[in-house]
Amino acid sequence: MELNDKDFERLEEIAYKIRRLSIEMITYGKWGHIGGSFSMAEILSVLYFKEMKVFPDDPLHESRDRLILSKAHGSPALYAALALRGYYDKEEIYRYCEINGLEGHTHIACVPGGIEASGGPLGMGLSVSAGIALGLRRKENPRSRVYCILGDGETNEGNVWEAAMSASHYHLDNLICIVDYNKAMAKGLIWELMGIEPFYDKWKAFGWNVQEVDGHNLNEVYGALYKARWVLANGKPNVVIAHTVKGKGVERAEFNYKWHTHAPDPVTADAMLRELSITYGREPLGYSKLNIKENKHTFYGGE
Amino acid sequence: MEENSSIEMRDAFAEALLEIGGNYENMIFLDADLHTSTKASMFKKRYPERFYQFGIAEQNMFGAAAGLAIEGFIPFPSTFAVFASRRALDQISISICYANLNVKIPGSYVGVPTSRAGASHNSIEDIAIMRSMPNIKIADPASNNDLKAIMRAAMETPGPVYFRVARYAAKELFGSDHKFTWGKGKVLKEGLDVTLLGTGIMTAFCLEASELLARDGFSAEVVHLGSIKPVDRQCIIDSVSKTGCAITAENASVIGGFGDAVLEAVSDECPVYLKKIGVRDRFIESGGMDELFTLHQMQPVDIANAAIAVINSKKK
Repeated sequence: MELNDKDFERLEEIAYKIRRLSIEMITYGKWGHIGGSFSMAEILSVLYFKEMKVFPDDPLHESRDRLILSKAHGSPALYAALALRGYYDKEEIYRYCEINGLEGHTHIACVPGGIEASGGPLGMGLSVSAGIALGLRRKENPRSRVYCILGDGETNEGNVWEAAMSASHYHLDNLICIVDYNKAMAKGLIWELMGIEPFYDKWKAFGWNVQEVDGHNLNEVYGALYKARWVLANGKPNVVIAHTVKGKGVERAEFNYKWHTHAPDPVTADAMLRELSITYGREPLGYSKLNIKENKHTFYGGE
Repeated sequence: MEENSSIEMRDAFAEALLEIGGNYENMIFLDADLHTSTKASMFKKRYPERFYQFGIAEQNMFGAAAGLAIEGFIPFPSTFAVFASRRALDQISISICYANLNVKIPGSYVGVPTSRAGASHNSIEDIAIMRSMPNIKIADPASNNDLKAIMRAAMETPGPVYFRVARYAAKELFGSDHKFTWGKGKVLKEGLDVTLLGTGIMTAFCLEASELLARDGFSAEVVHLGSIKPVDRQCIIDSVSKTGCAITAENASVIGGFGDAVLEAVSDECPVYLKKIGVRDRFIESGGMDELFTLHQMQPVDIANAAIAVINSKKK
């Protein structure tokens, strides 16, 4: 299943905007994870603007598809996608990491129906997703799907494999897990810190349908999600292993775990955003709040 | 109403599950390979389609409970109190309590009387652990009727609840019409010299201690505080401001648990001499129920001796 040209361009534009808004909110909010937000920009673009059925005007609509961001530190990209999809005004993103604003790690109370669960500690989201999938079964809701985005590093956690075992035990084929396999964790590359390979075989052995795609290729991501939803209703849960690049889109952050948690200063953010626009063949466009006073602050993060 | 119940508290738990299951169709039960020990097997038999087995994987069970609660169900993820409070703490804290979800957590096999399994299975830290998390309510029943009232109240209370279930039979202190209210204590016996504040099965021990004290000429007030969080501050203050000294008794570690909840109220508003009865800073070893209570100095006579000590401190 391939996207038509119009959809392809539209989704590419969304992925670009997700990255832009992520830098804007991380810089202004003085905290956040650029690397893990950028690696799943295409995944979120396809999910929220093509694959998932959502109702931003009635966010808790029963027949919506649910998305759980298990890697809850990737919140900037999700907040950006929700803003672009119309869950709230785009200006809301500048309340990222502010009191009564958008929490640093995704929290259910921040955007009911948009953020479906509370997270932060890694390895927990797939269990919650399996519970939701089980709940949908109990409610005899055959339409809705549960999407869970896992980070690769969090599959070090035993809880992930407990969840994988139970999803297959309960035949949860309404559960679609996407692993953002960006190869880098907080303090190093995954094969240096704790290798997860053979990754495909692990999921297979746990009884899942497994697909492997280039997570930055919109057509491949869409094709796999379409297949998981419409073709593989065979009583097995689905996982799409999306090979991605941490920090994809800005050279200094690519494959660079130093940008795992790191808020850029406004000048650096400006340069990153200009680079991003050039990469996407746009007119250079910098940081929108470069000359605003509140930017004079202490920056957190880094190594 | 005081009589020795021959029904184990875990059987009362099962009876209450059947009652609740009949009243709430969206109540579901999650188990981690312990349903015949906790006696949830009775619920499984009656409502097999509402019983989910999660195997020996507590972290996943509590995470899935969060997901089911998000979809509007009222899950009871059930295991021994040690595993709920220790193994699945992160899931309970963030997936359930932070999200403020409607999950009811029974902690089975609490405190000293837990069989001869030893330290790994005797839950002494669960009150302290659970009490430290925002949003959750905590209760420790004195008896079977108290447990049933707590479970009914839990269903009527939105949000996370943790309640303790002892394994063995406890003395029945209440009638079958007994009501439980969050944040409300109950004065079981009025007195003037000392306040004995009990929670869980230790309340019955406090009543026995009050009889020992009466023989020595002391009049003890006995208060049952089944609701540990929120705790009835007013009831505590009213009593200790009258008696001027207090004992707390809990079937758990004295560090950070019920006694400390009482101390917080007392030290804020009415400082008095107070001693805590409970497991001192040590693990529980394998042994017989009665000999363990003696070893850990948690018998009625220990409560009475501690009471005499605080009464004497007060007189100085």
